[in-house]
Amino acid sequence: MAHLRCDHVNQSRTTRMRGFAQKLLGLFVMLCLAITSGQAQPSLLTAGEAIFLRGTEAGRPACAACHMPNAAGQPEVGIPRLAGLSTAYLLDQLGYFASGQRHNAAMSSYAAMLTPGQRLEVSTYLQTLPVPPPPDAPAAPSAQLARGEALFLNGDPATGLIGCVQCHGPAGQGVGEFSPRIGGQSAPYVMSELTDWRAGALRDPKGEYMRSIASHLTPSDLQAVAAYVSSLDDHGAPKQ
Amino acid sequence: MRKSIVAVAAIGALGLIGTVSLGLLQRPISAVALAASPPATFQPPAEADIPAGKFGDAVRMGEAIFRDPAAHASAFVGNDLRCSNCHLQAGRLAGSAPMWAAYVSYPAYRSKNGHVNSFEERLQGCFAYSMNGKAPKLGDPVLVALESYSYWLAKGLPTDEKTPGRGFPELAKPELAADYGRGAQVYSEHCAACHGPQGLGQSTGGKVVFPPLWGPRSYNWGAGMGSIKSAAEFIHANMPLGMGGSLTPQQAWDVATYMDSQVRPQDPRFVGTVEETRQKFHNNAFSMFGKMVNGAVLGDPAVTPPAETIPVGVAVPASLAPTK
Repeated sequence: MAHLRCDHVNQSRTTRMRGFAQKLLGLFVMLCLAITSGQAQPSLLTAGEAIFLRGTEAGRPACAACHMPNAAGQPEVGIPRLAGLSTAYLLDQLGYFASGQRHNAAMSSYAAMLTPGQRLEVSTYLQTLPVPPPPDAPAAPSAQLARGEALFLNGDPATGLIGCVQCHGPAGQGVGEFSPRIGGQSAPYVMSELTDWRAGALRDPKGEYMRSIASHLTPSDLQAVAAYVSSLDDHGAPKQ
Repeated sequence: MRKSIVAVAAIGALGLIGTVSLGLLQRPISAVALAASPPATFQPPAEADIPAGKFGDAVRMGEAIFRDPAAHASAFVGNDLRCSNCHLQAGRLAGSAPMWAAYVSYPAYRSKNGHVNSFEERLQGCFAYSMNGKAPKLGDPVLVALESYSYWLAKGLPTDEKTPGRGFPELAKPELAADYGRGAQVYSEHCAACHGPQGLGQSTGGKVVFPPLWGPRSYNWGAGMGSIKSAAEFIHANMPLGMGGSLTPQQAWDVATYMDSQVRPQDPRFVGTVEETRQKFHNNAFSMFGKMVNGAVLGDPAVTPPAETIPVGVAVPASLAPTK
């Protein structure tokens, strides 16, 4: 019975999401016309770099003010690293912030100040940046890192938790347009997102996967996985 | 300058915290209730409890093969699948054909080959069909390692072919006859983001992360997953990954029909003609082998990739070589 009800809720949610998805797809197709043969045009990159480092004429501050000029973020205060994230992921998220489908006090208004074309420019630019090394965080206790590694690789069969690698790839480097790079991401940021999902927030229209998965994490496991994820370098190896 | 950056950062951080507390107030559905796992069943031992010594080594090797057969049993693997793609949680998860339940169910008579099969022979079938590879010989270290792993997972469980959690949970027949077109729609909405619009899977960093569901690098026509019924049961209980039970039974039947109506490697038991092969091995309502789909007959050698496409010249890893 509970099952049936669940399916029902899910279906209406799916229908709503389909509406969003169609609108976004339309927008995306329009924007994609600006890109030829999958190669970012130099003009897109230059414009994206200008927005990222210097802001826009309309008064939007530079992204780099918070996310740092190399887009490494400020991991210790939970400002995420953007370098190494895919254009598709960044464009989605900027769109969600702008439309109110994802909320954050700082990002919601900043993203809304950008036109869809500017969001594409800055997202395209960010994908080209080299991935900075993992943050210099105080070393987590080794038992916590070991637990985080086990969860990252294998999940927890006792609670039905799947491993992060199953969607984010063996080194947490992300897979195509489906899942973002998480290896080397700020631990407080990862904690914050997992905490939201675990509490039942959708975060964004694609958040249903993470909401379902995070519901299997205990608070201490959540810390362990965030600590481990943040320690991974570009090749998925824990920082020595 | 640095100070102002820190101040902006602090505002950003406060924003994050604000988002966290807001998030607590909005909980539209229970994510936990999505899991369609069958009633609580046997819990296999924890990974940390694998014993030391030669037997423990075999268990560990079995688990390594199970998670990444192309790396540890490459001589027998002909596609991009892993055992753990269908036996989720590395063969531990109830309702996803867990290895502990399989282990205590053999030897058993199988209508598929008409005789009583040992557990090892059953494992051979996985390599020949699901892995589109080559069956290791009975007693091969690969089979011994997989058998050791399965035995160890089943420790404490009585032999019983009706062990709860075995195989995939029964799924009621759909209200409407399962439909390829509706299945295509379900696929594009719920599956394509990971498995790709053409069902060919997705890789990152040189590793296949999302398995191909059809095409030359997926399971062949002899595999259990080629049965629409088995596929629907698996999908309903376990897919999308992490959100098992979120599709309706109708959606699961429809999308299973779509998936199992695609081109995939040949049935290694192929006897010369599609008709005869269907008659002999696929004569049931749940196999599309020999049926016309999108203008081609499934299983027709003209459109069907070969069976047993094991890599040429792959040496058996030293760790798996038979010991003297």
